[in-house]
Order: sequence, then structure tokens, then C-alpha cells
Amino acid sequence: MRPIIGITTYVETATWGIWRDLPTTLIPHDYVAAVSQAGGRPVLLPEHEDTDVLEMLDGLVLAGGPDLSPEFYGAEPGPRTVTSPDRDRAEMLLVRRALDTEVPVLGICRGMQLLTVAAGGTLHQHLPDVLGHEKHRPAPGVYGEHDASFEPGSRIAGLMGDDLAIRCFHHQGVADAGKLTVTGRAEDGLAEAVEDPDRRFVLGVQWHPEVVRDERLFGALVAAARRHRS
Amino acid sequence: MRRPLIGMTAYAQQVQYGGNEVMAGMLPMTYVRAVHAVGGRAVLITPDDPGADVLDSLDGIVFSGGGDIDPAYWGAERHPATEIDKERDDAEILLMRAALEADLPLLGVCRGMQVMAVVGGGSLHQHLPDVIGHDRHRAASGTDPLAADASAYGRHDLITEPGSVVRGLLGGHTIVNSFHHQAVDDPGSFTPTGWCPDDRVIEALEDPNYAYAVGVQWHPERTSDLRVFAGLVEAAARRSGLKPEAFAA
Repeated sequence: MRPIIGITTYVETATWGIWRDLPTTLIPHDYVAAVSQAGGRPVLLPEHEDTDVLEMLDGLVLAGGPDLSPEFYGAEPGPRTVTSPDRDRAEMLLVRRALDTEVPVLGICRGMQLLTVAAGGTLHQHLPDVLGHEKHRPAPGVYGEHDASFEPGSRIAGLMGDDLAIRCFHHQGVADAGKLTVTGRAEDGLAEAVEDPDRRFVLGVQWHPEVVRDERLFGALVAAARRHRS
Repeated sequence: MRRPLIGMTAYAQQVQYGGNEVMAGMLPMTYVRAVHAVGGRAVLITPDDPGADVLDSLDGIVFSGGGDIDPAYWGAERHPATEIDKERDDAEILLMRAALEADLPLLGVCRGMQVMAVVGGGSLHQHLPDVIGHDRHRAASGTDPLAADASAYGRHDLITEPGSVVRGLLGGHTIVNSFHHQAVDDPGSFTPTGWCPDDRVIEALEDPNYAYAVGVQWHPERTSDLRVFAGLVEAAARRSGLKPEAFAA
């Protein structure tokens, strides 16, 4: 039996076929395909205060999405911060329980930011204000392409090997990683990867490995999920 | 005590939202809310990943609405109005066979009931207006089904068979909403237990040999009448020794 990997989802007003503007739970299919190709069985997790669903899961992907409510790290929302409060509450409960029960977690983009805040860290609410450039989100629908540098000996350094290219699309970023260790950075110094060395598998990346179905990362999650199950 | 975990078959579909256009794994929130409202916990199962191993972790499953089933499954030629999604057909037929084999409680909604008929060896009418001469089982295209009340949604009467599961849940008569252009012709191994009295279109299927194997042609998830979902979650809880009523909203 394949390890079961839960993927968090968005609720959006969506349009398809003859259907117009229906509230829909959805996730870009890239996440599903990336988990499948790495040998996991994806299931999608609609937001809910229930965290017992973790009992069925062998691993968890915290997917990308809108900004995290700054109240979770003790800040006031900035003018460009767009949040999804119901999703925030549900995912914060889910990630805390996942960490407590050692379910392997891969956080992507917003998911890395969620891991950081759950670990007591804080976020920059609008990176161009801090960094003075827009290279992490060049334009709508355009990924910023960078080479990252990784901390020698870290999990992410081992997984990425010699291919350091990453594709980013975000306007917020990690300011203080809290109890997590920053193990990857962009050329401008921004945190691109975080890990919790005290847990079996907690990895956050600021970029979008699902877009290229990156088996280095999803494969590592599935392998950790297999170990978690047995 | 945990909530019964209910898998729901999802779509892999090109969708637009908030200026984005992406291929997404998705399901209308009405289905998710229906399961949560009766004390279950929904997880979505995408169709692109054939394999039934996920069923081992579920307490029940919903086969959701969607497009038409490939008539090749019952040996018919495709009608011009029939639009199929082969990947979803294959995945759901495989999942349903395994769910029945495991006697996992299951509810089929609209297309989901039609999948039951096909898995049971039956067949479908591919375009209902050709058979009954009217289109009252399908609301007008372009109708906003969320803004609309049930009357804009192919509203019609339903009568049920005495002694059936749906009779126990819904009584002898109720009014339902519809949005379908295909319908069950031969129910195969399943028993028809609900009809539209005006045209005798089959509206409910079940098999009493299973813990809960019920299909409905209408869309209870779009109404406040969630009794067939409650029946599923209760059967799922019984099977797994859980008490869902503690969680029902």
C-alpha cells in the first residue's frame, strides 16, 4: 500500500464548463501529480477544524496560497496582505498536530511560512518593501528563477545536489525562522528553505517544486512517510 | 472520538478563479459541507491516480456528480450529446468495485448513481429528452445553481419503494432537484427504489446486501435535506465503531 499524503487546499469561487462562480475546494493539479509520481497516494484536505484526519495520513504537504494572517505572529496586517482566515485557522491546527505527532511535513511557499510561524517565527509582509526588488514575484503568472545556496550538511543540500535552480512566486517571506533552521537562501539573503533538525522530517521551501514535479523533494517526503507508517 | 472519514471522488478539471486558469483537483464545496454538516470528515480522491489502496483508510465514500460515463462500458455507441472523461471513468469504476468488495458504505450522487448502475452490469439512457420527450430533469444551461432555489433546478416529485433504505430515510414522497440529461435504464444488480412519478425515471438505487450502498439521481448536497448523507455517515460510523452524532453541526 502506498503512503497516503494529504495536501491542503484552497476554497475559491471557481468557474468551469457550464458552471459559474461556485465555491470550490481545489488545488493546482501539479501538487497531486508530484505526489503520485513520487509514489505516494494523494488525498486532498478541505479545511476543517478536525485534525484527526492526520491518523489516516503518512505525510502532509502544506500547499501554497494566500498570505497568512499576521495575527498568528503578533503583527498588524499590512496594506498588501490578503488572507484567508478560515484556511489559516484550520491549517494552523493541522500543522501543530502534525508536528506533535511526527507526521512528515513538506511546506511549500505559504506552507513554509506556516511552518515558520508555527515554530514561533515571523514574516515580512511585502518583500519589495524590504528587499527593494521584485525578483521573487516578477509579474503575474511569471516565476522568479534563482540559484539558491544551501547549508552544507543540511537535508535540503543533500536532496538538491548540484542543481540549485529554483522557481519562486511570492511577495512575503520569512523574517525570523523561530525554532527552525534556515538551510537555504537566495542571492539576496532571503530564506528559501527551513528545516527542523529535531524532528524526523520537517522541510519548508519558499519555491514551487511541484511545478516541475521535483522527485528529489516529493520523493524524500514519500520515503519519510513510508518510514512513519512502519 | 474521531469523525468518520469520508472519501469523495473529485474532478481533475481546468478551472478559472481569481484571474488564474489552472488544471486543478477540485470539488464544489457543497459536497464537502454536506459531509461535514452530518458529522463526517471529507477528504478528496482525485481520479488521475488509479488504485484502490486508499479505501483501507476510509470509513465511507461518496461518488460525486460530473460528466457522462463512456457507453462502451455497457456496449453502446456514443450519443452525440454524451461527453466523457475516460480517466475519471476508469478510476471511479475501479474504486467502486473495490468499495463494494470491501462493503465500504457508499453513496452515489447523480453521476455517482449512474456509475453504480454501470458497475452493477446495467446501462444508461444517454440522452433523457430522447426517451421521455422533455428536459425537466435538467435546469437551463447558464442558470446559476447557487443563486437559484431548488425550483430552478429541475424540481420534481420523488416516490420511494416501501421497505427500502430511501423510504426509511425520506418517507414515501418528497420533492427533489435534478440536473442531469442521462439516467439509469437497466439498474443491473442494484434495485431501483425511487422514481419520478411523472415519467418513471429512476431516481434512487440501492442494494440491501451491503452496509450502505445507495445512489440518488438528484443533488441533496445543494439542499438542506442531507438525510442520505447522514445515512452514509451513520453506516460509516457503525462499521468503524465511531459515534458521529457527537460532531454533527
